[in-house]
Amino acid sequence: MNPLPRRFLCVITGENRCPVELASMALAGGADMIQLRKKNAAGRELFGWAIRIQELCREQGAVFIINDRVDIALAMQADGVHLGQNDLPVEAARSVLGPEAVIGISVSTLSEATSASRNGASYLGLGHIFPTGSKVKSGSSLGTETIRNIAGSVRLPVLAIGGITAENASEVILAGASGIAVIAAVSGAENPEKAARQLVRQIRQGRLP
Amino acid sequence: MKRSLQQLPRICVISSGKESLCCGSLALRLASSLSGLPPVIFQLREKHLETKTLSALALRLKPLLSSSSSLFMVNERTDVALAAGAAGVHLPESSCPADSIRRIFPEMLVGKSVHSLESAIEAEKTGVDYLLYGPVYATPSKERFGPAQGLDALERICRSVSMPVFAVGGITPQRAYACIENGAYGIAAITAFLDSGSMPEIMEHFQSILLQ
Repeated sequence: MNPLPRRFLCVITGENRCPVELASMALAGGADMIQLRKKNAAGRELFGWAIRIQELCREQGAVFIINDRVDIALAMQADGVHLGQNDLPVEAARSVLGPEAVIGISVSTLSEATSASRNGASYLGLGHIFPTGSKVKSGSSLGTETIRNIAGSVRLPVLAIGGITAENASEVILAGASGIAVIAAVSGAENPEKAARQLVRQIRQGRLP
Repeated sequence: MKRSLQQLPRICVISSGKESLCCGSLALRLASSLSGLPPVIFQLREKHLETKTLSALALRLKPLLSSSSSLFMVNERTDVALAAGAAGVHLPESSCPADSIRRIFPEMLVGKSVHSLESAIEAEKTGVDYLLYGPVYATPSKERFGPAQGLDALERICRSVSMPVFAVGGITPQRAYACIENGAYGIAAITAFLDSGSMPEIMEHFQSILLQ
């Protein structure tokens, strides 16, 4: 089972706002997936936020995942997790979360993508596509050509991340991405609901600007 | 084995928290030094490690600890504990609620650290199997746990809950006796077990006090 919709928007909670408030606004704007990501929060805090965001997501039919903390996802039975290359290996996450869980993994090369696919990932978080200030990233941005290559070679949905805005979102979808993930474009926006709505419009249209 | 049938060891050895990022040699040496000795609770607690590294280390520790019949516990990360086949998870005071884990994994051993009477009573309601309470004495890592709580506080906690309480913080064999006298079921320590070269003597010393 793969509950990921076509052309979906994943909103990742930033460090600046309350994650529950942000999730609520992003969902009102039409986000299809929320990823809870707070690197230095205590387990109890994460658990509390996660329970409330999961509830909001259920109401909207959206998917709820947690970054890195498979333990919290297990404890409150989130829909899934998003893993980085230095987090719990995908196959271990799959074995503890079970076959139904959504398990995404960050990749930036074809070999990482192929190995993620072999090890039971549900989708690929491919990035960063464009230059971004949200995360400290090594290496140069991949550009949309890499989306084309990886989406053409690996049979998993590609979620493009990194520097994606309403201006370049449709370009990313046309290159073959199944969806986009954003941090700053929504969590850093003055009006996150409106920002999410604009992104959703762009990715659903999928026309070049 | 069902967790309810286990007789809990009275000594809890906690990893140094200073594991190197690459090889995990400290914890592996510590776990190896326990082989051939009476079983203990071994808690892998390396909060600074990335999950991938922690998980790889847990997988290497598991067979070493099985050979001494010790109970392998992973700090906080239930996922890592499950993936490594550990006996259970040890939750810090600020963790997700123990009953959320208990509900899904009834056979897992769940320990919990508490630093106050209120937390101890709360923890008991959520169905944890044992508590670590401290710091009873001043400890080099005291800023993380707050000031020393003392034996009176330990005694009050032990009287207020019905599950085993392990005293932690500045524990030496000499102090272990006072902890047991004040109601502790056992002791937990990092520093006391740092010298893995003399583990048989250290264990013997603790055992002679805890089992008398």
